[in-house]
Amino acid sequence: MTRTTQLMILVVLFALFSLLYQGLWGDPRHIPTVLVGTRAPVFEGPDVETGEPLSSERFKGKVILVNFWASWCQECKIEHDNLLRLHDEYKDHPEFVMLGINYQDEPPKARAYLQRHGSSFSHVRDVNGTLAIDFGVYGVPETFVIDKNGVIRHKWIGPIVDDVYANLTQNVLTPLLEG
Amino acid sequence: MDETEIDQRVREIAKTLRCTVCQTETLWESGAPLAQQMREAIRTRVSQGQTAEEIRAYFHGRYGDYIMMAPPKEGSNWLIWVAPFLLLAVGGALLWREVKRWVTRTPALQVESPPPLDEESRRRIERELQP
Repeated sequence: MTRTTQLMILVVLFALFSLLYQGLWGDPRHIPTVLVGTRAPVFEGPDVETGEPLSSERFKGKVILVNFWASWCQECKIEHDNLLRLHDEYKDHPEFVMLGINYQDEPPKARAYLQRHGSSFSHVRDVNGTLAIDFGVYGVPETFVIDKNGVIRHKWIGPIVDDVYANLTQNVLTPLLEG
Repeated sequence: MDETEIDQRVREIAKTLRCTVCQTETLWESGAPLAQQMREAIRTRVSQGQTAEEIRAYFHGRYGDYIMMAPPKEGSNWLIWVAPFLLLAVGGALLWREVKRWVTRTPALQVESPPPLDEESRRRIERELQP
């Protein structure tokens, strides 16, 4: 067997094992979502703060930013100020809506979290986790942007900070609202 | 459909789907809260009369191939299905070739014929063999 053949076999083996490793133990954060470009699920549930029923149908025809969060989630705390800043930046746009979906949480703890960290937009409670599954959520925080036609245009797994914030506002929200 | 039958179908479906937060376990084996909620979602859909294929399609539509314990046989997924057999075939062929080469290289055992018997030795043997 020549040296070149041995090297080729090694390269092929390495590539196959890398694929297998990625498939079995890879971080789902790095797997492209299948939901971008598909119709967003219609969701409804009780408002975390008031308990009143809230449905996404009410915001049909608008650009909706949906953020999944929980009071026990450390990364959610990191991004919270940025979410408030983002809402403040776009709240006067008539076609922009921002909604939080409270995931795997207890209502009193979720309310206390909002009181402590601030709340300027509505939050729906995901009562039995079905909203998260409908959105293909892996964990929190996760953020989705739905366009005026109800199609998911963007998904981000992880906190909205630094470059992620800049990308979300400049390359996703602004073009969708101006387009 | 009674509860036992529903349980049986939930188990069958959950065993074919992968826990998305624990990665190497099925939805049936996992104790993660998300997996529990997913099992509940399967149960609700089974109770509503959805087929196993419809339920799997629902999860696949949200989490992609990642959630399937057996990835669909299409596109680059074929590599996953074919690679083990391909590796086995290539490995077997290489092993066979090496063993064959090793056998060829090993010199055959030479059986040397004894030196011819001289006259004196022959007479001695005959003498000793006489009764």
